[in-house]
Amino acid sequence: MEVRSELHLKLDKDEPRRVAEEFEEIAMEHGVPMGVVFKFQLALDELLTNVVSYAFDESVDPVITVVLHFTDAQVTAVIEDNGRPFNPLQDAPAPDLDLSAEDRTVGGLGIHLTKAFVETLEYERKDGWNRLSLVQPLSAHPEEHA
Amino acid sequence: MNVETSVSGTTAVATVSGRVDSANAKDFDQALRAIIDQGVSGLVVDCSGLKYMSSAGLRVLLIAIRKTNAAGGGLALCRVPEHIREVLEVSGFVRLTKVFDTPEDAQASFSG
Repeated sequence: MEVRSELHLKLDKDEPRRVAEEFEEIAMEHGVPMGVVFKFQLALDELLTNVVSYAFDESVDPVITVVLHFTDAQVTAVIEDNGRPFNPLQDAPAPDLDLSAEDRTVGGLGIHLTKAFVETLEYERKDGWNRLSLVQPLSAHPEEHA
Repeated sequence: MNVETSVSGTTAVATVSGRVDSANAKDFDQALRAIIDQGVSGLVVDCSGLKYMSSAGLRVLLIAIRKTNAAGGGLALCRVPEHIREVLEVSGFVRLTKVFDTPEDAQASFSG
């Protein structure tokens, strides 16, 4: 079984939820394990929240697309936007998890969770586009019962 | 998302259900602030009905942890679903707040 879904996002803070819920619906129909569904939709939500919040100023017409692709072996998502260059894998500050509540900031936490929850995460900047690809195997995920 | 609140003296239980993400984290923040502003220093957040929480929800919890710590109490979580617990662990939040099995245990942690 194979399912492909392409979504186009407006520049709106509610859009990441629409994608996360669309992903969840297809994933549940596809029999994707609940733990994988949760982690992958959190990653989609965090990455897309960054894009709709920070990637654009008024100089470009925002184009944001997400392509979800389910096969029996894995689920992949490709996020593309024509916003300012941003590589979340390198450009986001790593949170210091040892600090007290008083000294902690939440900056970088979304990316930290995304990196921890997604098996393969790649960034590419090409011809004015940011391209993030996420890949999660559907069986025996190593972090499933970590 | 929905938050139901039960206040008793300086402690309270806030039962949050549904999804907490960047689209509605502001509502979650307002709900917890409204409770703390009633003079609550020991806040229990019951997560039994929580389906989903992103880092936007963690940001709200962090603010509530600071405010309740400053008031001489703190924030405790209870009945946390497994996948949410993993978010707390990976983000290091298990070091910032205690996680209990029941609301009663969580509340008792403030009266001792």
